[in-house]
Amino acid sequence: MALLEVNDLKVHFPIRGGILNRKIGAIKAVDGVSFSIERGKTYGLVGESGSGKTTTGKAIIGLNHITSGTVKFDGVDLAGFTSKKSDIRKDIQMIFQDPYSSLNGRKRVLDIVAEPLRNFENLTKTEEKKRVQELLEQVGLSPESIIKYPHQFSGGQRQRIGIARAIALKPKLIIADEPVSALDVSVQAQVLNFMQDIQKDLNLTYLFISHDLGIVKHMCDEIGIMYKGRYVESGTKADIFNHPQHIYTKRLVAAIPDINPVNRQQQKVYREEVEKEYQQNYNDYFDQEGLAYTLRHISDSHLVALPQKG
Amino acid sequence: MEYSNVEVVEVEQEKAPSMAKVIWREIVRDKVALISFIFLIVITSLVYGVSLFLNQDEIVKVDLFAINQPPSNEFLLGTDYGGRDIFGQLIIGTRNSLSIGILVTLMTGIIGITYGLVSGYYGGTVDNIMMRIVDFFLILPFLMIVIVFVAIVPKYSIWSFSLIMTAFLWMGIARLIRSKALQERELDYAQASKTLGTPNWKIMFFQVLPNLSSLIIVTMTLNLAANIGLESGLSFLGFGFPEDTPSLGTLLGYARNPQTLELRWWIWVPAAIMVFLLMLAVRNVGEALKRATDARQRRG
Amino acid sequence: MWKFIVRRLLITMPQVVLLSILVFIMAQLMPGDALSGLIDPNIDPSAIEEQREKLGLNDPWYVQYKDWVTSAIQGDLGQSFRFKMPVSELIGQRLVNTFWLSLATLIITYLIAIPLGITSGRYNDTLRDQLINGYTYIGFATPLFIFALVMLWAFGYGLGWFPTGGSVDPGLEPGSFAYIMSKVNHILLPAISMALITTVNTVQYLRSEIIDTKQKDFVITARAKGASESRVYRRHIFRNSLLPIAAYFGFEITGLIGGTVFIETIFSYPGMGLLFMESVLQRDYSVVTSVVLLFGIASILGALLSDIILSLVDPRIRIK
Repeated sequence: MALLEVNDLKVHFPIRGGILNRKIGAIKAVDGVSFSIERGKTYGLVGESGSGKTTTGKAIIGLNHITSGTVKFDGVDLAGFTSKKSDIRKDIQMIFQDPYSSLNGRKRVLDIVAEPLRNFENLTKTEEKKRVQELLEQVGLSPESIIKYPHQFSGGQRQRIGIARAIALKPKLIIADEPVSALDVSVQAQVLNFMQDIQKDLNLTYLFISHDLGIVKHMCDEIGIMYKGRYVESGTKADIFNHPQHIYTKRLVAAIPDINPVNRQQQKVYREEVEKEYQQNYNDYFDQEGLAYTLRHISDSHLVALPQKG
Repeated sequence: MEYSNVEVVEVEQEKAPSMAKVIWREIVRDKVALISFIFLIVITSLVYGVSLFLNQDEIVKVDLFAINQPPSNEFLLGTDYGGRDIFGQLIIGTRNSLSIGILVTLMTGIIGITYGLVSGYYGGTVDNIMMRIVDFFLILPFLMIVIVFVAIVPKYSIWSFSLIMTAFLWMGIARLIRSKALQERELDYAQASKTLGTPNWKIMFFQVLPNLSSLIIVTMTLNLAANIGLESGLSFLGFGFPEDTPSLGTLLGYARNPQTLELRWWIWVPAAIMVFLLMLAVRNVGEALKRATDARQRRG
Repeated sequence: MWKFIVRRLLITMPQVVLLSILVFIMAQLMPGDALSGLIDPNIDPSAIEEQREKLGLNDPWYVQYKDWVTSAIQGDLGQSFRFKMPVSELIGQRLVNTFWLSLATLIITYLIAIPLGITSGRYNDTLRDQLINGYTYIGFATPLFIFALVMLWAFGYGLGWFPTGGSVDPGLEPGSFAYIMSKVNHILLPAISMALITTVNTVQYLRSEIIDTKQKDFVITARAKGASESRVYRRHIFRNSLLPIAAYFGFEITGLIGGTVFIETIFSYPGMGLLFMESVLQRDYSVVTSVVLLFGIASILGALLSDIILSLVDPRIRIK
């Protein structure tokens, strides 16, 4: 059984207006998204800004209200879950995009990392301090860091503090919302490799949200591509990168820079071809509102949003 | 080397962008604020210190043989129409005015901050309803309603006076805190706390509130100045402190009598100067704090 | 646009209703009722009881509230026991006086605020600006009533330039030139005293508004086009900075209400504020409730007015 199963998830935000400020419409931030993640795997959710990928992640962890659909974690539906919510929520944690605003600047590292421990575990002051120091060591920071404040660390170090906080409760699933996009390129690889290490050590499952296909290729086993709140394509890493079917995916894949200068010219020609195809066939791949069609299987693992016609 | 295996980890206890230090530096840089600050310290310790030795009953006792006397060696600032020593009344009055100003500021602060935090943090419908209530309170003719309540409250005392003032003065700070809380709750650290299972009330008071501390300090200081003015105004009109409990306002209230106003300056002018200086000094400190908390305006 | 005004009006209704309930509760809390001022205390208690029944004073509170609101809407605000006349008539006389005082104060407020604000904003950080800033700084720290006392002491009693009380000299023919001049003379000192203090808000606001506008792109563009400095100020900056000031006109009304209580008490000027103070002291409660109700409605309408003007001036407000 999959660890996380999302079925037809919808998150709509109401648009209010008129004299009485009544609901007059809705922004469909997430509009019918389904996927599942196997234990110990990394699932990549890719899309441009505003495609609904972060909203999906936040809905799963409970930060956004779910309009309809189900989110099953370990077989338990989280959508209608109200009582004793926290017990199951503790198995899902999140790493935030911005390492500057996600740590409260007025708190010491000890208080930041100990926050989840204080909510769920009854530790004495010394036990708590020891636990926090262990966690810091685990993420590669010195144990003395506990009495420092976030502003005394670099971006990469702060993201490690965020990770230490996220793994404090030994969660099963971590939702990583663009965990490296606010960091220097030189630090990105460090943090990513480190995330892979702790994944092995702690047997974590990742939902990896990113707009950067290069990083997703490096991190993920399965990938879902979102556009305007819907899926356009999903499949294994090989499906997406070697056999992209939807023009939107093709365009994204073509845009990944290649480090080898020999291929540069070839790469450029390919990119222009894809761009041309995208412009020509846009109307075939999207409906009148510019939204993707429903997904259809083209193999066991590979789903593409293609129009109903043959 | 003998010492090499002894590792001394020296950890400096460093404060976050140390607020206290920045504020102190700003106040010292700003000579006006520094003088105001020293003035406040001196006046406060003086009136609280001296009033320990003054007998309030003695001062407010009517002495018909010494009415309306101009300043002399016996009565440093003369006496009022009941022969009561003005200087003593001024000392005790300043103490009382300061005390009630601080009390009302704290009470409105606690109510306003809690109200604003809840409203801003929850947002949505809760916020909408709570803010409509604030709007309504803000629109009331504050002064008149307070006067009416003071006039009709049975068993009127200092406590009921400060409660009445508080009941109609908490909205300003509530509004300010609400607009800030509304921004803070969208920041990742508040969202992160939610995902970590921290209950809402804890996020409000232990995560969001500390981030608003500088704003709160500034607002409360400026409110203190305003409240000292308000108290003296209400007492002046006769709807604040009762006459047997002198305050700066009750001294000023004697000036409602045209003869006192015209001919016996020693009764009301010292109190007027005291109110003015207190308000000015508190405001100066408040403005310096404001600059200290806003990096763009900082002088030092 | 219309949507905003209609929505704003919809908020105003419950405000007025809430205000009337609050005032009604206040009236209920006050000792005595409409009868206690009217009747001779020596009358037989059973006759009083009969009279109470007839006037509906024994009805449940919601019936009394309904009666009270109905008669208030019809202009019947009860009877003043001190003056033995209908409250509405009594208020009518005083309202005119307060209206003139407020109008004079508003005019002087803007007469001071606009030139000072413009000078201080245009030449910010020069000596002129610092002087004006010094004035507003002290103005902020001075309570209105203390300033008014000092003004009365200095110009009323000390120098004798202005009368020290009343709204007109006695014995003058109403409508005559001397009568009008005397009225103006009586209004001047209280109005100047109030305006000098209340204007500092507007001066400060105008100053920062102009300093903000000065750095806006459209002003830089105007300069880049080669418009002369005075033209830039006249055509671009002032127009944009003065409009919000105009909108705060409604809020000024709310501020004036608190001010009139102090000013009219200090200058013994027979307006609504003084009437209110006298009535509270003499426990003439039907007058007190009426004044509070009227001033409450005035502030609600003032805020409504300001919001509507603001929405006309600044389209961003309408979105909310």
